[in-house]
This record gives sequence, structure tokens and C-alpha cells, in this order.
Amino acid sequence: MRYKQQQSTVLEPDMTPMIDVVFQLIAFFMLVTNFEQTQADERVKLPSDQLARPPEVAREKVLVVNIGFNRNREGEKTDPQAYIFEGDELIPVLDFGRRLKEEQRVANALYGPDGVKEMTIEIRADAETPTGLIQELIKLSQENGFEKFSLRAKQLVK
Amino acid sequence: MGQRRSRVSATKIEAQMAPMIDVVFQLLIFFMLTLKIIPIEGDFNINMPLGKQATESPDVPIPPIKVRLTANADGTLAGVQFRQVSLGNDNLAFDRLNAEIGKLVGRRDNPYLDELEVEIDADYNLHYRHVIAAVSASTGYVSPQTGQVIRYIEKVKFAPPRRPAG
Repeated sequence: MRYKQQQSTVLEPDMTPMIDVVFQLIAFFMLVTNFEQTQADERVKLPSDQLARPPEVAREKVLVVNIGFNRNREGEKTDPQAYIFEGDELIPVLDFGRRLKEEQRVANALYGPDGVKEMTIEIRADAETPTGLIQELIKLSQENGFEKFSLRAKQLVK
Repeated sequence: MGQRRSRVSATKIEAQMAPMIDVVFQLLIFFMLTLKIIPIEGDFNINMPLGKQATESPDVPIPPIKVRLTANADGTLAGVQFRQVSLGNDNLAFDRLNAEIGKLVGRRDNPYLDELEVEIDADYNLHYRHVIAAVSASTGYVSPQTGQVIRYIEKVKFAPPRRPAG
């Protein structure tokens, strides 16, 4: 019997389709990743509304204030008191005036004497926040020279 | 003298794919881990310079359109009132409010449209979601034909807070 001598061959897989797919995935994730909303706090359960639409032109001078409750994993409130979230710090709404005063100083230093008037306070408040606290926050802000406010809500798509 | 030419053999240079694939996978994993699916957020603008809160300035020819929102003890909606008329407290209360304000505003070429202002007067403990619903119902509607937002009132303000007694 004669044996045919087989040549040892190294199979090189074609990488091109895989690289194509991986680049497509990277492009997808880069597009959907939102780096802008870094100031939004996930603990805040915003109300939703059909008319809530993102502004056509992005605001330049913005101070985001997140108001919400301490909630457990099931989403139930563990504390009836609403707080302003600043990282891990929880500030009662009525005590926020001192912080607003600092923000006023910073805005004036950065943008001039009218800087504080041009700055918009974006209020991201939990749907169950007592309205009186939002009004108190607006009043405290007015006392520190802020005039523009925006009430944030999730866009409801029907 | 005979010239000798060195014969250069054509060699195929293969690019090293392994490091690129490593980096690409690192990038992919980074984007996958940092991805947060955030619902689209919108907002309602409110201009409230100090001193204009709940004061009817004589310079303003048209008084604000007052919307009163009352709350139950637990913060749920007890009622919506528009010009002293109760519009109920069910899901349709804000639709009624929208219709009433639409009637008041009238045609979109109303010359006083830019001067109209809505004042939301809510109980202190009312849940904020109802205020958003009232602001939304007072300022415009979504066209059923085009799905576009039609805004008829741009100015919204709040009455002073109704602090609980004591």
C-alpha cells in the first residue's frame, strides 16, 4: 500500500468579518453612550409628560439640582423627607440657600455680574416631592439672584 | 565587469492583528460597561425674577391665568380649579384644563398671546407630578395629526408656597 504524504497546513481564520462586526458594535456603543447627563441622579424618579421635550439649543450655563427620596431596592421610600442629592451628601431643601450663595459667587466670578441671571437652574425632582419644597427652592434661588428655571420630566411617548 | 544584481524577493508583510483586536475588544468592553440607558428628558421653562412672584404688577395689562391645585393629606390630587370652577380630580381633569385654556387663548394669532401667563397655585404637600401635569396642560398640547408640540403659553410662574400652619 502506498500512503499519500499529506502536507501539514495551518488554517488561518478570516478575521475581516469579525473585525467589521466589532467595529460596528463599538460605533453603536459610542453613539448611544450619553456622556452629557452626568449630573442626572438615578435616585430621582422623574414625573413623565408628553410635552416634556429636550430644549432645541443646549443651555450653556446650567445648575442641576436633584431632589428625591431615599428609596430601597424595591423603590419604596425609606425616609419621608425629600433631600437634594449632591453625590453622597443629602441636603434638606430648606438648607440649600448656603450652597446657592456659593454658586452665585462662582457664577459671578466666571461669567461676570450678570452671570447668575443667565444661569438656568434645572430642577430634577422626584414625582412625589411636595410641591411646596420646589417652590421653596425657587424662592431661595431667587433670593440669590437666579431667575431662570426649568422643570425636568421624562418624555412620555404614547 | 559583470554587474550582479541582487534579486529582491517580493515578501508579503502581514500586519499583526492580535494587538489591534486586543485594543478593540477593550474598547468594546469599556463602552458596554459604561452604557446607561437613560430615558429622554425634557423640560418646562419658568422665568421667575425676584419680585414678580404672585404680585400683579400694574405694568402687566393682562392678569395671570390662575390654576389652583388642591391636595389630599397624602399628597394626591384633590382637585383642579380654573377660574373658581372645579374641573375634578380624575385623569381627565388636566384634559379639561387644557381645553379651558385652549378656549381662553382662542386663536393662535391672538395678539395678547405673548403676554399671557399662567400662575400655578398648589397646596404645599401636593405631589410634584400633578404640577408638571398642570404646567403641561396649561402651556400646550400634542397635535394628534403631526405629533408635534403646539405651545400657546410660554410664561409660567408659581404662586408663593402655601406653608402649612404651625
